[in-house]
Amino acid sequence: MPLSELATGRAARLDRRELSEGEACLLAAMGLTIGSRLTVRASGDPCIVEVRSTRIGLARSVAARLLVRDESTPNGVAE
Amino acid sequence: MTVASRPERRERWPRERPRRWLLLGNPNTGKTTLFNRLCGLRAKTANFPGTTTGLHVGSLLLPDATEQRGRGTIELVDLPGLYSLGLDLPESRVAAGALAGNDGVAPEGAIVVVDATKLLRHLHLVGELARSGVPFVVALNMIDLARRRGLSVDVERLSAALGAPVVPVAARRGEGVELLLTAIGRRRSARRVAGDATPPAFLPVPAAPPRTRAAPERPSAAALNEHDDAALEAWAESVVARCVGGDQALGRASDTLLDRCDVAFTHPLVGLLVFLGVMAALFWAIFALATVPMALIEGTFAHLGSFLESQLPAGAVRDLLVGGLLGGVAGTIVFLPQICLLFFLITILEDTGYLARAAFVMDRLLCRFGLPGNAFVPLLSSHACAIPGILSTRLIPDRHDRFATILVAPFMSCSARLPVYVLLTNFLFAGRPFLAGFAFAGCYLLGAIAALGSAFLVRRTLLPGRSRPMVLELPTYKRPSFRVAFAQAFEQGWSFLRTVGTVILAICFVMWWLSAYPKVEPPAVASTLVNEAAAVATLDPGRALALASEAERLTLLHQQESSFAAHLGRLFEPAFAPLGYDWRLTMGVLTSFAAREVFVSTLAVLTGDPAGDEAGVLERIHNARRDDGTALLTPATAVSLLVFFVLAMQCLSTVVTVRREMRSWKWPLLQFGWMTGLAWVAAFLAFHGLRAAGIA
Repeated sequence: MPLSELATGRAARLDRRELSEGEACLLAAMGLTIGSRLTVRASGDPCIVEVRSTRIGLARSVAARLLVRDESTPNGVAE
Repeated sequence: MTVASRPERRERWPRERPRRWLLLGNPNTGKTTLFNRLCGLRAKTANFPGTTTGLHVGSLLLPDATEQRGRGTIELVDLPGLYSLGLDLPESRVAAGALAGNDGVAPEGAIVVVDATKLLRHLHLVGELARSGVPFVVALNMIDLARRRGLSVDVERLSAALGAPVVPVAARRGEGVELLLTAIGRRRSARRVAGDATPPAFLPVPAAPPRTRAAPERPSAAALNEHDDAALEAWAESVVARCVGGDQALGRASDTLLDRCDVAFTHPLVGLLVFLGVMAALFWAIFALATVPMALIEGTFAHLGSFLESQLPAGAVRDLLVGGLLGGVAGTIVFLPQICLLFFLITILEDTGYLARAAFVMDRLLCRFGLPGNAFVPLLSSHACAIPGILSTRLIPDRHDRFATILVAPFMSCSARLPVYVLLTNFLFAGRPFLAGFAFAGCYLLGAIAALGSAFLVRRTLLPGRSRPMVLELPTYKRPSFRVAFAQAFEQGWSFLRTVGTVILAICFVMWWLSAYPKVEPPAVASTLVNEAAAVATLDPGRALALASEAERLTLLHQQESSFAAHLGRLFEPAFAPLGYDWRLTMGVLTSFAAREVFVSTLAVLTGDPAGDEAGVLERIHNARRDDGTALLTPATAVSLLVFFVLAMQCLSTVVTVRREMRSWKWPLLQFGWMTGLAWVAAFLAFHGLRAAGIA
């Protein structure tokens, strides 16, 4: 599912980036590599995710093109 | 264009030249704070291949006293913050080029700054650095913050895992800096014994094999594929798992508050209100805090003027020194406190982490006008000066996005406009700092609105297309470093003083000459008054003095009216008369096409009073009269001038920079015509609108 549809507090794993190579490289260097675990700190525009203890703000249009797998545990956020 | 393809500049340095070390790290790691701790205010800026703005270069003395003469000093280059060496971004290319020694100086070593609380991600860069083969020392910064969050780092084990010395530091408090220096010294001597770089055998699957130190090759953007990333990541994870203890879920307790702040600051409405409030407070603070130092500077120059006047014999030299140079320079230096304060406060604001949130608020706004979110930084830097702003647009990947940003950047109120704004807003709202600050912020707002409107137009006509969405790291909120802010204010203030010492001084000299020559006989009325004064001198000394000073005033006026400056000003006056300017203001506007801040010094010279009074320069300009005896500045002319200066393209250096960046004269000329035309029309409307409303 697109990252932009994930609610605040959910944890997920990054599956695919449907972005240009330059944008994908920048995201990777900021920590958003394929398979990285992220937590949504604030959904909306910008979508704020935490990955490896770094907060990254993403415009909604970018978040919509990041496909993730929801990995939240039933009792809350998984770290 | 890659760094390698640039023509290499191989220079022979003198033998004693200190060896070069590079300082690198991710953005927001406190790298600049550490650099200032290490090198203090002695840093210089230097140009490196690939950089658009100069990099800071400092020198530092290592504590190792046993070193030979000159060998204990190293040169430290502060590279721009970067996430990775392999990205196709200017900062990555610059860093990779500097590591490879592309400018002819191979680095002896590197200091890599990592944030102890974000070790996992920052090890990415450390891994890449290890692959480059350049010997390095790791500065484990923000160790105090990590400890407070219950993290423990096994430094010895980390050092073994990275194959390099690791020194825990807290740059903000200066903790561990001495140890870092010692570690650099040891690293240097160890290298000399062991020979060149040891291959980084500890890296698991280096996609690129270890290179020799002489020719390290950086992986290209294409080579830095997911596989390579994954290998580095796995390595980083294993290192962190072995070396970091404590609660890995950092700062959980404060997270809710942090989340709420982030949501509020980036909220479409709340975020915008906060942003406007912060900016208003910023400008109010600049006004309120600068009054005392400004008064001090004015007083000092006034005293200096009367001192010189009493010491020097009357004549052209005295007039030049006191009326021309001192007056003009005083009229400009008086704005130094405000310029320093602006940069001090903006640096503080940036350091708190708030500006990154504000960028998202601005992004939503910019998008609608066809500007990309990453235009925010160039536009913000343009508030200091349009030139670094325009140069930093190289970060914008799309050509049309970039050109649109360059075209509107000079609308942002730069620091050269500050003196003019201060002069005129102080005139409009004397003794009411709140209103003056409000008017001041209004000027910034007007410039921003003009920029957005122009961007909107240009994106629909000359440069069609949609802008790219925004991605930005949100740094942790923190207490700002006054040291860094002070260094920034000092640097900007110093560069302003250098302009005063060169361009402004030269223009002052020319303006003084134009306004003082040709010398003419005093008018007949003045001569009659002088005779009259002589006649009543013994009977009524008070009246004689009044007559004499009136004669002096008339002589001065006559002199100014017949000067070259007046002739020139009158020649161009018809173009500016509809805006409410006389020949003095016209000359002020014309001379400021070279550089805006010259306006104030030109007026200071043109309204100069060689008789010398104790009044400050600002007061003198505020009280100056036109040839017909009416006030030089009225509320309507002041507003008209403000509007003109907000919008007009009055900066030769910017025109030249735009030409260089866009590789054509078409764009800068279009920009010049558009901005200046808009300025004229807007000033005309403001002037006549106010007059129609009964405000003269």
